[in-house]
Amino acid sequence: MFLTRSEYDRGVNTFSPEGRLFQVEYAIEAIKLGSTAIGIQTNEGVVLAVEKRVTSPLIEPSSIEKIMEVDTHIGCAMSGLIADSRTMIDRARVEAQNHWFTYNERMSVESITQAVSNLALQFGDDDADPGAMSRPFGVALLFAGIDPKGPQLFHMDPSGTFIQYDAKAIGSGSEGAQQALQDTYHKSMTLKEACKESLVILKQVMEEKLNATNVEMATVTPQRMFKMFSKEEIEGIIKDI
Amino acid sequence: MSIMAYNGAAIVAMKGKECVAIASDRRFGIQAQTVGMDFQKIFEMGPHLYIGLPGLATDVQTVAQRLKFRLNLYELKENRQIRPKTLMSVVANLLYERRFGPYFVEPVIAGLDNKTAEPYIAALDLIGCPMATDDFVVSGTCTEQLYGMCESLWQPDMDADALFECISQSLMNAVDRDAVSGWGAVVTLIEKDKVTTRTLKARMD
Amino acid sequence: MSLQMEQHEYGTPMQRYWSPYAMNGGTGLAVSGADFAIVASDSRLSEGFSIHSRDAPKTYQLTDTTVLSCAGFHGDILALTKYLEARLQMYEHEHNKKMSTSAIAAMLSTILYYKRFFPYYVYNIIGGIDDEGKGCIYSFDPVGSYERETYRAGGSAGSILQPLLDNQIGFKNQQGVVKTPLTLQKAVQLVKDVFISAAERDIYTGDSLVIRIITKDGVKTETFPLRRD
Repeated sequence: MFLTRSEYDRGVNTFSPEGRLFQVEYAIEAIKLGSTAIGIQTNEGVVLAVEKRVTSPLIEPSSIEKIMEVDTHIGCAMSGLIADSRTMIDRARVEAQNHWFTYNERMSVESITQAVSNLALQFGDDDADPGAMSRPFGVALLFAGIDPKGPQLFHMDPSGTFIQYDAKAIGSGSEGAQQALQDTYHKSMTLKEACKESLVILKQVMEEKLNATNVEMATVTPQRMFKMFSKEEIEGIIKDI
Repeated sequence: MSIMAYNGAAIVAMKGKECVAIASDRRFGIQAQTVGMDFQKIFEMGPHLYIGLPGLATDVQTVAQRLKFRLNLYELKENRQIRPKTLMSVVANLLYERRFGPYFVEPVIAGLDNKTAEPYIAALDLIGCPMATDDFVVSGTCTEQLYGMCESLWQPDMDADALFECISQSLMNAVDRDAVSGWGAVVTLIEKDKVTTRTLKARMD
Repeated sequence: MSLQMEQHEYGTPMQRYWSPYAMNGGTGLAVSGADFAIVASDSRLSEGFSIHSRDAPKTYQLTDTTVLSCAGFHGDILALTKYLEARLQMYEHEHNKKMSTSAIAAMLSTILYYKRFFPYYVYNIIGGIDDEGKGCIYSFDPVGSYERETYRAGGSAGSILQPLLDNQIGFKNQQGVVKTPLTLQKAVQLVKDVFISAAERDIYTGDSLVIRIITKDGVKTETFPLRRD
């Protein structure tokens, strides 16, 4: 055989003899280079918190967006190749509006995640939908929202696999952050506690010193739906830490 | 659009026990636009005899006048009041004379016989084909609605009060589901010794 | 090859006409109460002066709590109801739940509007239980305009039935009357009465009446004979 093991990573539609799809695994590795993002689900709602890497004082921090609104009741945090997330968020938004148009009801968080996962899985397809690419997406997503089942948090990785979580961390600091979440999370956590806890954990795993400009935060609650936190609101939480 | 529905109208007549009633809406409109809310469509043809003329408003008035003309001649010649059945024949004749250029009216007749006080109701089509029934007759732009109402509300041998309620409810609820009739209603209740005409308070939209 | 060309005779031009639609009649009726809904239809299928079937009810059970009544062109009714069933199944698979009555109504509206310029010639009325457990009715025109109501008659005898429902259920043109909530027994009796009246005057309505009573516990069916002439 002339093929060395590593040459199985040249195509996205060829399994290695061990049954692995290397490009997908590499894409998952790419997430671990991204900034840390955390999601916590409570009975009152879901919180998303993301680290922003402001690598130069000349960067305008507000132009880095890593939490986005999908619909009034669903938000999404991301880590990895943020550019890749554009098409996925676009798809999520279109699916949410389509569902509302057709059924006159809000789409569930699971269904949104499923719809985006269908897109994520189409890499390499000859007859894929518009928006699909020749390689896997290099981004992981946290979908947070409110639906008839209550507050929901879903994680999706570049392979298209999605799983529901009580609390989940993704990105470079995810290992430490996930462990921290496991230690601190409990079912009766309030949303306020979850907001604070997410920043506490971000602070632990971030290389730079945490402040109101280098984190982003949003909540989704039955009362106020998707809400991005202002700089002042974030400062208020940081003060309590 | 049918010329019969150009102005809009709804007329119904019903038999009761020793009484009859005839009712009509009061709208005069030109297609969807209402022009008048006091348009006469029921005409007195004798002490116990009335005719309702739904259809093209100009023909309503022409037929009413030509009918009055023939009725006057009849009364002068015969020196007596006309019987409902005879009036029906006069109307049928009048309309059939214009067999190939008809008046666009479909009359309804209601009355009590001069001698026997027997209730009589009949309806004719625009060329004078008569139909006398022993329950109710309907004519105008909302006949389907009127049939639905009458078929459910009418029952045999109603007294004058019951007949009034029945015909009023039938007409009002029917015209409320027709865009070109309504805007007020008038009911004439014919009993042997009394004829009562009431205008009804109806929705004006 | 023969040199002689075939001779054609040309007559006067003749216009041929064909319509993709037929009117097969039928009447649907739906009434809702506090915790129930009734969807009823006759079972006659006709065209012009002939009766195709005396046993073709036009009510379609879509879910445990939703029933649809269709009148109009039977071909389109068959196509539409089959497509609806497919969409219902797809929704269930995609979203892991039964469709609510309001969602079905919204979906039907879009299905009808997608054929805005070659419509399904169908008059639809949906009856069922809403998300709060209350009875609900949605009525449609053939191109998807829809509205939630408490009662509605549609199809060939719709205009015969509707004013009576206005009067008896909506208490229209009644003064100083106590607007008592509609009971199931009264509703069923009223449905029978109005269909007897409709069968009396409408030749496209008759044979038998199928009444579907929808409560949170499911759908019960009653049949009732009507005039067959």
